[in-house]
Amino acid sequence: MSDFIDLTSAAAESATYGADERDRMGFFTDTTLCIGCKACEVACKEWNQLPSDGYEFTGESYDNTKELSGNTWRHVAFVEQMEPERDTGRWLMESDVCKHCTHAGCLDVCPTGAIIRTEFGTVVIQDDICNGCGYCVVACPFGVIGEKQEDHTMGKCTLCYDRLKVGEQPACAKACPTESIQYGVVDELRERAENRLQKIQEKFASAQLYLNDPNDGVGGGGSLFLLLDKPQVYGLPPNPIVPTKDLPQRWRTAGIAAAALFGAVVLCAVSRR
Amino acid sequence: MSAGYYGRPIVKPPAWTDLIPTYFFAGGLAGTAATLAFAERTARNDRLARTMIFGAATGCAVSAFCLIADLKKPERFINMLRVVKPTSPMSVGVYIFSAFSGSVFIAAGCEVTGIARPAGRFFGAIAGLIGPVMSVYTAVLVGDTVMPAWHLPRKTLPGLFAATSAASAGAWGLLFASARDNGSARRLALVGGTAMVAILQALHHEIGPTQAEAYSKGEAGALARTARVLNVGGIVCAALGKNSNVISKVAGALLLAGGLTERFAVYRAGCASAKDPKYVLDSQA
Ligand code: SF4
Ligand code: SF4
Repeated sequence: MSDFIDLTSAAAESATYGADERDRMGFFTDTTLCIGCKACEVACKEWNQLPSDGYEFTGESYDNTKELSGNTWRHVAFVEQMEPERDTGRWLMESDVCKHCTHAGCLDVCPTGAIIRTEFGTVVIQDDICNGCGYCVVACPFGVIGEKQEDHTMGKCTLCYDRLKVGEQPACAKACPTESIQYGVVDELRERAENRLQKIQEKFASAQLYLNDPNDGVGGGGSLFLLLDKPQVYGLPPNPIVPTKDLPQRWRTAGIAAAALFGAVVLCAVSRR
Repeated sequence: MSAGYYGRPIVKPPAWTDLIPTYFFAGGLAGTAATLAFAERTARNDRLARTMIFGAATGCAVSAFCLIADLKKPERFINMLRVVKPTSPMSVGVYIFSAFSGSVFIAAGCEVTGIARPAGRFFGAIAGLIGPVMSVYTAVLVGDTVMPAWHLPRKTLPGLFAATSAASAGAWGLLFASARDNGSARRLALVGGTAMVAILQALHHEIGPTQAEAYSKGEAGALARTARVLNVGGIVCAALGKNSNVISKVAGALLLAGGLTERFAVYRAGCASAKDPKYVLDSQA
């Protein structure tokens, strides 16, 4: 990571809270425990008072939710890996959510300051400030953010900022009956994830951790995952990189192009006969 | 089974409307038009300078409308001005655009009314100096996203935006100035138009054949081919129409249409590279 982007890490941003700074909180989603009950989806909708997505039958296994969006902040993915005769194989389930990235593209690009890093190190959109410019939508490497049609601002998981403030855990983690969704201090979750991986790998060689590495392209997630297959199988980017990473170089190249453009105009103007 | 998770996008395509590529066109034209106006004023070709500052003002007016109308909450446009964020090219861009369009409107206002001409010259010079940045910053704005077709052409996209802006500004001069006065605009249209066609080739090369499909297939590809025909036609007419008002105007119209179409082609390529997960997967393999 370049020096430029280090200025916008979760730690640097949370530190601006001074005495109010708290431990960085996050999720560890252990997909090996998920039973696909969607209690997290429902609990999230209820607590955050998000409207339904309608009733559309996708034919994509048990997934009629389709994707994370402005009004859907938890999404359970269903992957059927069956042999043709369906007597062997497995069914992968994963509850997806905003990654609360250490280097968050959405936060970096938001031009109104509507997106903030909270004292818990999480990433939250203030919907009374957002003007719906849509820049965050295209700056998230995970396709998390979408428009909330009813109030024309952008929406995503807040890690239940309101519940955290009063010492409660997020609604989805509370509702999850199998502890597939675990809430806690990110450093502890990382350790827990490592230990769990050790165990699971004995049985499932393809098991892997996702976003637990602080040196990956987004500086690691505040949400980490234990997956049973490659990230792309679940619709996750295999090697996400915060788009702002090479922003200074982009400005430099643009500066050269602008200078060349100025030179070209002047040449065209003075080369009259 | 299709790529990734039921072939669904991994990243979200823009929630923007077609006002955004329209803004890239109008803002790009305005920037370079203001620079040409400034250069012509300095060279004492006042008639072309006047045409170009009006072009810049028109581009700014269209831009302001597009920028605000595209917001999901336009009445909150003002929230853009509550912070200055170097990490956000849109935040930086709002200040570039504000300074630029403010200068252009003052310069054009002085030109129309004939009052405070020295002030008009001063702000015309400011606009002329900011102009190239105004024309190119939008390449940084779209480059700083996770749309592969915009993110990957690191070297060539700013050049493409600069060239398209030059072609469009030159085309404005060809369309609205007489053949007697439009020499600089003609040269700019020729340089910009040719560079646009050439840099587009380089862009395909920079991102490689798989990623370039976002630019060459589907709606983006159809728009790009249309743009190419319009631009090549415009370049030919601009080269041949030296002494003809009619041919000059045809050249201007073709290149304006070609520039606008090219903006839409680039915009649609970005959207296409989000909608099909193969582009993200290829770039992260
Ligand atoms: S996953 Fe996307 S929306 Fe969530 S913090 Fe990271 S960039 Fe922002
Ligand atoms: S849509 Fe709202 S939250 Fe997203 S970048 Fe724009 S102002 Fe910020």
